Amino acid sequence: MWDYFVSLFTNVLLWIYNLLGNGPHMFGVAIILFTILIRIVTWPLNAQQMKGAKAMQDLQNDVEWQKVQKKYAKDREKLAQEQMRVYREKGINPFGSCLPMLVQFPIMIALYQSITHALTSTPLDLLKLSRSIYPFLNVSDLIPLNSNFLWMNLGQPEPYYILAIVVAATTYLQSKLTLPPSTNPNDQSAAMGQSMAITMPLMMGWLALTFPSGLAVYFVTSNILGIVQYAAQGKANWSNLLPKSMQKN
Amino acid sequence: MRKKLLLITLVLLGAVLLSACGGGPIRGTTWSGLAASGETAYLADVSMVYGINLNDGSEAWQFLDKDDGKAQFYANPVITPDGLVIVGSTGGTHTLYALDPNDVTTENDIKSPATEWTFKGAKGPWAASPLIVGNLLYAPNADGNLYILNLNDGQSQKQAVKVVELGGRLWAQPVTDGQRVFITSLDHSVYAVDIETYELVWHKDLDGAIPGSPAIGSDGMLYVGSLAKQLERFDPETGEHSPVLDTKNWVWSTPVVDGDMLYFGDVDGNFYSFNTATSSLNWSIQPGGAITASAILQNDHLLLVTESGSVYAIGKDSKILWPEEVGGKIYTTPAVANDLILVASLETEFYLAALDSNGRQVWTFPQKK
Repeated sequence: MWDYFVSLFTNVLLWIYNLLGNGPHMFGVAIILFTILIRIVTWPLNAQQMKGAKAMQDLQNDVEWQKVQKKYAKDREKLAQEQMRVYREKGINPFGSCLPMLVQFPIMIALYQSITHALTSTPLDLLKLSRSIYPFLNVSDLIPLNSNFLWMNLGQPEPYYILAIVVAATTYLQSKLTLPPSTNPNDQSAAMGQSMAITMPLMMGWLALTFPSGLAVYFVTSNILGIVQYAAQGKANWSNLLPKSMQKN
Repeated sequence: MRKKLLLITLVLLGAVLLSACGGGPIRGTTWSGLAASGETAYLADVSMVYGINLNDGSEAWQFLDKDDGKAQFYANPVITPDGLVIVGSTGGTHTLYALDPNDVTTENDIKSPATEWTFKGAKGPWAASPLIVGNLLYAPNADGNLYILNLNDGQSQKQAVKVVELGGRLWAQPVTDGQRVFITSLDHSVYAVDIETYELVWHKDLDGAIPGSPAIGSDGMLYVGSLAKQLERFDPETGEHSPVLDTKNWVWSTPVVDGDMLYFGDVDGNFYSFNTATSSLNWSIQPGGAITASAILQNDHLLLVTESGSVYAIGKDSKILWPEEVGGKIYTTPAVANDLILVASLETEFYLAALDSNGRQVWTFPQKK
């Protein structure tokens, strides 16, 4: 089942690459277009994630909820019951912002596998690739794919750390822009969000440094599209980019 | 809070999964290289090169580059007239090694051959076996260059006599007609290089990648199979070429020449006999399993291995004389030495099996304990 999924990704990538005319740098462009395609397909999920995150943040700033938290601060069981009640009353799905995130991981792993699959480096890889190409895609003449994109070999990690820095920077930007303002000083979620805005870029930067640069191109494109999506929906919190002293509460 | 922890966990899990996908060498990532000479078989398998005694399948020695943990071997080793075993690595430093099986040292009960010389000038993996012509070694590399080395210059850190820039990934052993060296490339090209001047004589493109070596037919013409599902005939002097046979799928293997006949397979498992004198298909059969390895001639018949793990003895009239199921998956061209048929297999308990001339198994390597 998983192989079929990876195979689908590989064929879509090859199809786009074929449409682009398989010239130099075109596999990188194919990855970018493929990422845009994935973003369009998962747009409703991402929108749901934003909606869920916003609802959770609104709840953190809700005066009634803050009172409840204060009241049952020492009774965690009761607090949990009250939390579920409030979720029901306000129509909040506690997993509403998690599920779309879960969808991203299989996509990321499948894309990684399809990139390495398409950019074959050993004879056995090439033979396996021949089996996964759909018969109606007559792409035998495209093989081997041109793995060069700008200064990178998309099948290898980028050697100058430039892409890793860009991945980390765009991940940081996206994290900061999507952090809603919190008026609740005891908001643990906001504190974790701040901490994630630091750890996630480092983690993604490390992934970009370690794995084929084709995957890093996906990260950068996906991050930029994420920022664009937030901005287009008017949910980007640009004030988060300013120093704390300049932010309006 | 829980969601953030879940996110961290997922990122870590993703990283671990990705790491697992791109991890270090494991057996089965690609096929082995195989050669045999005298009383020894040479098997290039993942991170090791083994010398194996043909009489009983015991290990004579093993070679592991302790300084290059990423080195992997899958090109067929080549044996020089002096008995050196030349084998190139992929990954790590992309080194070409000349091992001396006559100079073996023992450490912790493991015998290892001395390294007579190395060549570290290539930037890509060594997927192709080099070709020895006189005292020169013509070594094509996946970086697109043909490195020409002098075997007798006494250097322990070899420098290339000449680097001929060709292009694409060079995965196949060159062949020569005595005047030119012919090299194929995954970038769809066939190159002819003058054997005296090292100048490029001609360069022609096909419609598909060429993972196999060319063959020189009895008519003096060059025959090349490709992923374009065609067998092409080339004039070795001018490079003029035309397709002579459409195949059902990718041609990976190098055609074997026997008089006017060429024998080769495709990855759909079709095995073809092509008559170069009449330029027509003689026959084709489909024994079972994809064919990436070249057939070899033994006495009056052909030996063919397929991905399905079988060895077939096939008469020149297309009749299957005997099939033998070795097991696993076989992609490597077998070798014949000391009346033994040597077959390297993947996804089995053993790396190498030796069969007698009737296909009966004689021994396997590593030996069963």
